Amino acid sequence: MADTLAPEPVTLRPSRAEAPQTKSRSRSPQKKWTAERIVFTTLNTTFLIVLAGLMVYPLLNTLAISFNNGQDAVRGGIGIWPRVFSLQNYSVVFHMSTLYQAFFMSVLKTIVVVATNLFFTSMLAYALSRKEFIFRRSITLIFVLTLYFDAGLIPNYLLIKDLGMLNTFQAYWVPTIISAFNLILLRTYMKSIPDEIVESARIDGAGEFRTWWQIIMPLCKPTLAVIGLFVAVGSWNSWLDTLLYNSNEQWLSTLQYELQKLLSSSMATGINGGGQAGGAAAAAAGAQGTTPIALRSAITMVAAVPILFVYPFLQKHFVSGVMIGSVKG
Amino acid sequence: MLALAPAAAVSLTLAACTPKGAASTTGPKKKAVIPAGDLADKSGTLTPSNPTTFTVYIESTHQIPAADNKLTKLLKDKLGVTLKYELVTPENSDQKIGVMLAGGDFPDLIGTGDLKLRFIEGGALERLDSMLKTGKYPNVEDYVKPYIHQMSYSGTVVDKGLYILPNYNRFYGDITGGTYNGAAFWIQKRVLEEAGYPDLSNMTIEKYFKLISDYKAKHPTTDGAPTVGFEAPAPTGSEWILTNPPAMLAGSPNNGGVIVDKKNHATIYADKDIAKTWYKALNEQYNEGIVDPETFTLTNDQFQAKLASGVVLGMQDQGWQFGTATASLQSAGKDQYTYVPLMPVYEGVTPYYADRAVMNVNQGFGVSSTSKQKKEALKFLDMMLSEPWQKVLSWGIEGEDYEVGSDGKFTRTEQQRAQSKDLTWQSKNKLMAFMDMVPKHNGTFSDGNAFSPDDQPTEFYATLSAYDKAFMQKYNKKTWMEFVNKPPQNPKYYPAWNIQLDDAATQANQQMTDAAVQHLPKIIAGKTSAFDKNWKAYTDVFKQIDVKSYEDAINKGIKYRLKNW
Amino acid sequence: MTETTVSTYATAASGPETALPLATSSRASRRKDRKAQKNIAKEPKRKITWDRIWAQRALMAMAVPLLLYQILFKYVPAYGWVIAFQHYRPGLGSIWNQQWVGLDNFRNLFTGVNGKQFANVIVNTLGQSLLSLVVGTVGAIVLALLLNEVKNLPFKRVLQNITYMPHFLSWVIVASLASVALSLPSSGGFINQALLNLHVISHPILFLTQPNYFWQIVAGTNLWKELGWNTILYLAAITAIDPTLYEAAEVDGAGRYRKMFNITLPGIRPTIIVLLIINSGWILSTNFELPYFLGNGLVSQRAQTIDVFVLRYGYQLGNYSVAVVAGIFKTIVAIILVGSANLAAKRFNQETLV
Repeated sequence: MADTLAPEPVTLRPSRAEAPQTKSRSRSPQKKWTAERIVFTTLNTTFLIVLAGLMVYPLLNTLAISFNNGQDAVRGGIGIWPRVFSLQNYSVVFHMSTLYQAFFMSVLKTIVVVATNLFFTSMLAYALSRKEFIFRRSITLIFVLTLYFDAGLIPNYLLIKDLGMLNTFQAYWVPTIISAFNLILLRTYMKSIPDEIVESARIDGAGEFRTWWQIIMPLCKPTLAVIGLFVAVGSWNSWLDTLLYNSNEQWLSTLQYELQKLLSSSMATGINGGGQAGGAAAAAAGAQGTTPIALRSAITMVAAVPILFVYPFLQKHFVSGVMIGSVKG
Repeated sequence: MLALAPAAAVSLTLAACTPKGAASTTGPKKKAVIPAGDLADKSGTLTPSNPTTFTVYIESTHQIPAADNKLTKLLKDKLGVTLKYELVTPENSDQKIGVMLAGGDFPDLIGTGDLKLRFIEGGALERLDSMLKTGKYPNVEDYVKPYIHQMSYSGTVVDKGLYILPNYNRFYGDITGGTYNGAAFWIQKRVLEEAGYPDLSNMTIEKYFKLISDYKAKHPTTDGAPTVGFEAPAPTGSEWILTNPPAMLAGSPNNGGVIVDKKNHATIYADKDIAKTWYKALNEQYNEGIVDPETFTLTNDQFQAKLASGVVLGMQDQGWQFGTATASLQSAGKDQYTYVPLMPVYEGVTPYYADRAVMNVNQGFGVSSTSKQKKEALKFLDMMLSEPWQKVLSWGIEGEDYEVGSDGKFTRTEQQRAQSKDLTWQSKNKLMAFMDMVPKHNGTFSDGNAFSPDDQPTEFYATLSAYDKAFMQKYNKKTWMEFVNKPPQNPKYYPAWNIQLDDAATQANQQMTDAAVQHLPKIIAGKTSAFDKNWKAYTDVFKQIDVKSYEDAINKGIKYRLKNW
Repeated sequence: MTETTVSTYATAASGPETALPLATSSRASRRKDRKAQKNIAKEPKRKITWDRIWAQRALMAMAVPLLLYQILFKYVPAYGWVIAFQHYRPGLGSIWNQQWVGLDNFRNLFTGVNGKQFANVIVNTLGQSLLSLVVGTVGAIVLALLLNEVKNLPFKRVLQNITYMPHFLSWVIVASLASVALSLPSSGGFINQALLNLHVISHPILFLTQPNYFWQIVAGTNLWKELGWNTILYLAAITAIDPTLYEAAEVDGAGRYRKMFNITLPGIRPTIIVLLIINSGWILSTNFELPYFLGNGLVSQRAQTIDVFVLRYGYQLGNYSVAVVAGIFKTIVAIILVGSANLAAKRFNQETLV
């Protein structure tokens, strides 16, 4: 069955596809370059390339503007290549004295949040996926409901304060160890794992914790990879927690929060009705050859690029996939 | 049990973290050794021998200064003061203020721009009046004395009195400056150049649009792109670009949504004839093709982009709002595409566009009610308000950041001008965020120098481009300020736009803005024959809004100010 | 205005706590068995006894502390809802020490000038939300299916990486790009340019001035930004489909489309259904940025949504009570919608939430 795990790579070069099959299993006629196949592959490839072009455009555009002279960028009309090349925008971002430490804090925070969240969410998901568990439905319901209401900023803040977590690292990860959304999806996945797997573990003398950790978790890898990606991105992108809970300890500041501050200062002209402060900020930004629009692009790139690298890294877990069937078989 | 871990973590945190109050000075007081020079605190409250750390909350768009900042060091050397910053951008302050008030712990000094007075009314700030009476804070006293009524809180939620020292526009001496950043009908310099530098006095909207349409007819394209006659955008957050012009045309200074008559009675104008006349004119211009058909869909970015590309001949706006576009044009050497302020008015009306800069009441620094070192904190503000410190904060250090001429006037070399605009340099040599909130000696110092380089007339003229100098020559003027009216003394109550509103009035105000933003574009972009019908639909909406509660609240505020200011 | 204000399906992943989805392993071959199992599972409720609780002590240990955690962090702070019945002013003492006003805030929001506006914003929210949900879900599934047909792995990976990138741009930037794309050709509006070149239109259209296009523009922009991101979930679900099913189908002579409809789609159905049920509850919570930044006076009767309204009449005016009233309204609607969706799914023997 192992051969089924590796789909035959197909390229547009017919010679390759028509190469003699080494696998024992005979290939079905579809694998040959039929007219239908050529038409479909061509159309599909063309469509996906056009789509990818549309999707990559905003990022390339942002990248181009970020490397463009700010004063010039204000005029608009920049495509995917800078019109007047300049490193000024990045110079402003990277000269922020707080940036590097904040970057480190963001990485640390993201790692801790992902680890704790995956651990606790999957443990609970396992319990809720067991059909014999008597509180399964009521506990699930209690978690599902939390998807649809929010207590509001102030009560949440007071809770963190009363727990003594203001200005501590714990304020970043303790409130996020479970996400109801991931819980439901992971539980749904676990429910679909055949009971025989759990039962055979039981026969081998495994308890609930071992079954969860050693048997079920490995089977959930693709899902855990996806959830991990989403938790990581969510944690990486969040800055409100820093603003509300940890903004008066500089060492706890995160990259997104620092960049968000820089961003809103670069946008101040548009939002601040007072004029004085906005004008001053615009003058300050303009002074160095950067402008809000250009600076914003550089900030976006600095904020997004590190987390963009997480996906390719996790991708292998679900491009290749884990075959429950094969494990079972 | 694994699942107990979160609970355990919570309790660990509880044990590990003792609640943090406002930081206070540690160690017993030593005998004060007062450093030499006029930057030292002669009273001996703040000295390097007894170092003080203040926690400071500041709402500002500026960044935290670099660790090796020159002025940070100076504060430490001369006063023994260390500032521990908590910087929050104005955009984020709504959320932060809410939780800070709920939490009830505040830093020593609070620098706020919150127009809703939440720190004051939430009990976060100390009333300063009795502390000032001790006479220990001469600079603060001097700062507040002539304007104590304007600066004081006059509401009913907490005790009336002084809580915040305003950060801008409490003027000393003469008011100087060359750039006009207020409201105007702006026109590109090339339009006036082409028209042979026409007389700009007695400007009307007819004359204004004639200048524009004549030019546009002759030059339908600019650098290859279609020339745009006039923009009237209402980008999110700056809707007033669309709603304010009627008041200016009627010769009323910027009072926000109301016009205040000679008897000091305020009424809204958005649905009145003075508004109708303007939007009718705009509707005609729209159908003539003068107004940009895209104007209402412009985001602020796109608006700036259009201005910066040089295609737009004119618009009504406040100068600071399109500062980025102007800077972009100047850096590209396209000064003929930058703008001059004009002041069209209705028949028989005197223009009142430029006003005297209004004091930022209720914005600035206050001492928190939970601070354990209130006296020291106020003394610190007092020191910052002294002329020597104001010069340090604004101009910098003599010989490093500016030079003093033989006549005693401050000047800067080209290099000093250039470095002062460099953000990295600023981070090491200025306290930008702190400076944003600190009370200022706007106007002129006792030695005749302007408060800041930007206001120093010689500095202004030295930085003008050759084109601008020649342009001004044609009109025989030396500053852009001279293109607008000389601001008369502000009315006593002025301005009405910063009067505190109650809930009903606030809501009515928002509803009026919504109605304007939703209906005015339709009125302007509609057919001229449909104007009356569209206008009626608009004014009908106003009839459903509780306009009276808004006007009443404003009039109540005006009456109070007339009586108490 | 909170960490967990989560918008439609599209941004479900953007809140810190609402990281996304999961793949549902689904082996169509076992579908029938599973249905059979489900029916067995529907045996009459078993009694909860101390004996059974003790017997399940390991599962209890895994679940109950986390349940208490959730109650502490999510349910306890919900006392904050009482400000819906108050004239709330932050800082004036505690939340219990405020002026009580009964149902005034509800009256203020649901009647008068505000009431008329609110009715309008509900319609807009539903319109934009449903359109975005349908277009977004269909788009993501179709893209997942098409990507699944790409057999060249490196190419497939690159495509996936590219399509998910727009997710990382802020709404401000996306709105700004969309608004340029939709403008006149002279301002960089390539959509008009393309339509002119293709002779679909003879004059450029100012899309953002036309109320009737606004919902479509919102749905389209959402699709553009979140398509690749939403696809990830379905791709992960597809990888869990047993490959032997395809092989067997091929032996039976099934074509590409038959395999798509008979194997792939049923394989990811539980994922689709669970997501649809969850999203049904978020239908009143659109992201506010898009209508906020793209909207303008000419289209506002189609642009304003509940969240924009709450932003403008709640937070921006310092009126927190109005915001909470709107939040309560949305929660009630959400629970009704999710409950119905869940019930419907149960009726048709599909995957359910609870």
